[in-house]
Amino acid sequence: MQSLRFTDITEGQALPPLDIDVSTTLIVATALASRDYQNVHHDRDQAIELGSKDIFMNILTTNGFVGRFVTDWTGPEAVLKRVNIRLGVPNYAGDKMTLTGAVSAKRVENNECLVDIDVVGKNSLGNHVSGQVVVSVPASA
Amino acid sequence: MMEQRELEKRLDECIGLVVGPRLSWDPVNQAMIRHWCDAMGDENPQYTDPDFAANSVAGRVVAPPTMIQAWTMAGYTGRFPPGSKGLPAGANSHFDLLTEAGFVSVVAVNCDQEYLQPVYLGDQVSFTTMLESVSERKQTALGEGYFTNELYLFYNQHQQKLVEMRFRLLRFNPPA
Repeated sequence: MQSLRFTDITEGQALPPLDIDVSTTLIVATALASRDYQNVHHDRDQAIELGSKDIFMNILTTNGFVGRFVTDWTGPEAVLKRVNIRLGVPNYAGDKMTLTGAVSAKRVENNECLVDIDVVGKNSLGNHVSGQVVVSVPASA
Repeated sequence: MMEQRELEKRLDECIGLVVGPRLSWDPVNQAMIRHWCDAMGDENPQYTDPDFAANSVAGRVVAPPTMIQAWTMAGYTGRFPPGSKGLPAGANSHFDLLTEAGFVSVVAVNCDQEYLQPVYLGDQVSFTTMLESVSERKQTALGEGYFTNELYLFYNQHQQKLVEMRFRLLRFNPPA
């Protein structure tokens, strides 16, 4: 598995988009993997009774996908330093979310090569998530 | 229902109170990491492949940083493990105060996680929470409510800070 180097990355560079098929099974599987048993993440009847149109993805999972979106691109030698997200419309079962992003800055701090990335995750209702990720990458080969 | 001034005075008293630490049921382990990576479709070998990880900068398997909260979730029973602490004696929970005052609905607005240390297999994760601030009462698109800012700090068994997380919620009273 290849990893990007600091020198491979340029400001403005776009990341490969990541499509997430937000199925009922995915919402339940990821909620349980994050040990989140809130009914709105697995029980459709209860979710509707509480005013939602279906079950929806939990926040821990959104964090997980935002992190994965970035490290799928950088490769496994990068280290996540920060995931800072703003939450928008829910990821309801049956929807699709597409994560897109681009490099907003590169900087060296305390001998670490840091890359700032702006990320947006959009579904049929609008922005589910938007935010910034900071990742540390190897300097060079 | 509690009068606005009384509510806001009691909410102010909650600011700065440290709740916890709350402990994790299990040490950081490969089975839970694999389960998470499987569900998330994350094939990063740093999280699951000991041979790859041995030759990495970390030198061993690390847990996905974004997984930090999973280690300390209360789980199906809603119970925290023995040894966990809650609110200081006699203190009010700002969450309960807002619920009692009719701000029963909740929506997450921001979640900012800074990863300060790697999380290794065998680590015992614990966390504390602290209310940092509460907004004035605001009229929002969802209804009238308050924004709360909470600081979550996650530690390992060496009392090293692993993650600093700021979580902003809107507690609101949906229009009838």
